[in-house]
Amino acid sequence: MTITAPDGDGPLLRVDDLVVEFTAGRSTVQAVSGVSLEIRAGETLGLVGESGCGKSTLGRAIVQVQPPTSGSVTLDGVDLTTLSDRELRRFRTRIQMIFQDPISSLNPRRRVRDIVAEPLVIWGRGTPDERKAKVREMLVAVGIDPDAAGDRHPQEFSGGQCQRISIARALMSEPALLICDEPVSALDVSVQAQILNLLADLRQTYGLTMLFIAHDLAVVKNVSDRVAVMYLGKLAEVATSEALYRSPAHPYTEALLRSIPQPDPDSGTGHQVLTGELPSPIDPPSGCRFRTRCPYATDRCAAEEPPLAEVSPGHLVACHYPLGGGTVPAPVPVPVPVPEVYPG
Amino acid sequence: MTVPTDAGAAGAAGPSGAAGTADADRYPDVGASDGPLLVVEDLRTAFRTTRGTVRAVDGVSLSVDRGRTLGVVGESGSGKTVLSRSIMGLLPASDVVRGGSARFDGEDLVTATPDRLRRIWGAQISMIFQDPMTALNPVTRIGRQITESLRLHLDMDRSTARDAAVELLRSVGIPSPEQRLRSYPFQLSGGMRQRVMIAIALACAPRLMLADEPTTGLDVTVQAQILDLLADLQQERHMAVILVTHDLGVVAGRADEIAVMYAGKIVERAPTRSLFAETRMPYTRALMQSIPRLSDPPGTRLEAIPGRPPQLIDRPPGCAFAPRCPYAQDRCRTEEPPLRSTTSPDHVFACWYPLVDGRPTGLPGPAAAPTSIPTSAPVAPPVATPVAAPVAAPTTGETPR
Repeated sequence: MTITAPDGDGPLLRVDDLVVEFTAGRSTVQAVSGVSLEIRAGETLGLVGESGCGKSTLGRAIVQVQPPTSGSVTLDGVDLTTLSDRELRRFRTRIQMIFQDPISSLNPRRRVRDIVAEPLVIWGRGTPDERKAKVREMLVAVGIDPDAAGDRHPQEFSGGQCQRISIARALMSEPALLICDEPVSALDVSVQAQILNLLADLRQTYGLTMLFIAHDLAVVKNVSDRVAVMYLGKLAEVATSEALYRSPAHPYTEALLRSIPQPDPDSGTGHQVLTGELPSPIDPPSGCRFRTRCPYATDRCAAEEPPLAEVSPGHLVACHYPLGGGTVPAPVPVPVPVPEVYPG
Repeated sequence: MTVPTDAGAAGAAGPSGAAGTADADRYPDVGASDGPLLVVEDLRTAFRTTRGTVRAVDGVSLSVDRGRTLGVVGESGSGKTVLSRSIMGLLPASDVVRGGSARFDGEDLVTATPDRLRRIWGAQISMIFQDPMTALNPVTRIGRQITESLRLHLDMDRSTARDAAVELLRSVGIPSPEQRLRSYPFQLSGGMRQRVMIAIALACAPRLMLADEPTTGLDVTVQAQILDLLADLQQERHMAVILVTHDLGVVAGRADEIAVMYAGKIVERAPTRSLFAETRMPYTRALMQSIPRLSDPPGTRLEAIPGRPPQLIDRPPGCAFAPRCPYAQDRCRTEEPPLRSTTSPDHVFACWYPLVDGRPTGLPGPAAAPTSIPTSAPVAPPVATPVAAPVAAPTTGETPR
């Protein structure tokens, strides 16, 4: 089923049953297994999950950097998967991406002002003077002094500043959608806060629509209106960030929330809730993919795959026994809450 | 499992600490004499570079008791990694200027010979690093990497060492350890590799473990597993741990005491609860407030720290945090605040205008003064004479050249 944005106009981005497969030797790995989601204009959707869950692949498949195996990606009514290479190239200016490692995503041999101007140069937009003015405006917007920084090279800047430059470059073509793939996970907490605040400001100023991919649920909660939790190629839960935190319905979401160490000696979080690691996507578990690590798993979970279904308006979960109510984090690492419905 | 109480009692009875229990034989520190295991005083490490001398660790003093955990927190470039490497003696052979002392059980590691250090490494003090892929030898099976130190330090023969390695892998939660001994590091996941690193570090039952960002780069769920594992093993073996991290969240629930580093110095050090409840240093507070919290509603504006940490070459006079500090005064830019304490001797900080209830105290000027007078906690008078803090670094004339 499709996840519908709670209200407002139609979605800006619609991903329908997206599948991305890689071949690894003789076997096939399904990195993304039938993900559907929507982002409406002006909204920020967070996408969280452990490494290897397919969240980055999903982001790349939306931009068509990694061509999807099946499914569709519709931006503003145009299905990107059906476009020719030429059309796609033109259309891609409407989706921009920023990456985890800001230093390696900037060409070390070019000057900052050329890096930032490049999107316009490629498309021949504006006169050189207009481009210059636009570069200035963008650098100022991201907090980089254009006079001091314009003629320098990326290696002269810190990670945080390079991320600012990446953001400036991404915004040059005035994209409809900005995909941020772990944009702050390589940064110190103090710099991380600067970049998160900057993204919030830019979102306000330019009315950005964002897909924010990260593994840190606390960061994602801070920036996102809604959050999608991904596990082994599938969505486990989708809800508004507040609802997700207040009443996680999927045991995996709950475990993630309890694992995050909080800067508070009494929070009781940051302790082991899940044993084991993400199973290999080459041979995913039958039924519910989380069942091998789930404290509540039953035979039904192995036999039958739970569909993504609504537990309350706008709150979707793929679990046979969604957790009801209750707040996280509880101080005890051993999960005690009883699933809402049990068979028989 | 916990340390048997009878071992502790035996240790208290006999000053030698040679308690007769099995655990005390296995882990000699159980029930050993009191006093800190590691005492670091005025430790200095500077690197000579073509651009000038980098004072990466600049007069750090701290101590760790047996079986306790000290958290060392700082941003990148704060000197926290160089600090742990300086304690270990893992520094380049040339262009390094060292000063101060790091006494481990009475023995100074700074002046110890390389030969002596090799006997201590692994056997008495071990270290785990951030990136287990680069810390492990990629072309050697993990079994060999674990047995190496057992055979070297404990003179075990091949088969005894192999059995011990299986036991170690089991104790760090690696499934089917017999088979895993034959694996190469690349065949393991990041979390499993870090478990192997911990097994290697634990092999000779060290009394002190330095864990430098042991979980950075791991998923939160795996991070929680590794940290819980470390805590269990620490308690079982009565081992002291120095946990170095950039993440205050990681140490908040785990360290007994936390030292916050900035620009090569400790700027605040306190028992964990006290550090969070009565934060004195504006930097510590800023660090806490820049972390997004799950309990905050979405869109909460984070209190980012403007600017970035200073260069450690030619550091300006005064407090190194002054350029980024919202409360900085003229004095902060000219005069360096020493580590001192006010209400509790365990809680030391380096600030002229320490925070009380989140507001700076003792600010000069009539406008600032009334609002900053605390109502509850007693505070020292406006900082004329620094209270002699137990660890205040004596200013020696020794300067790296």
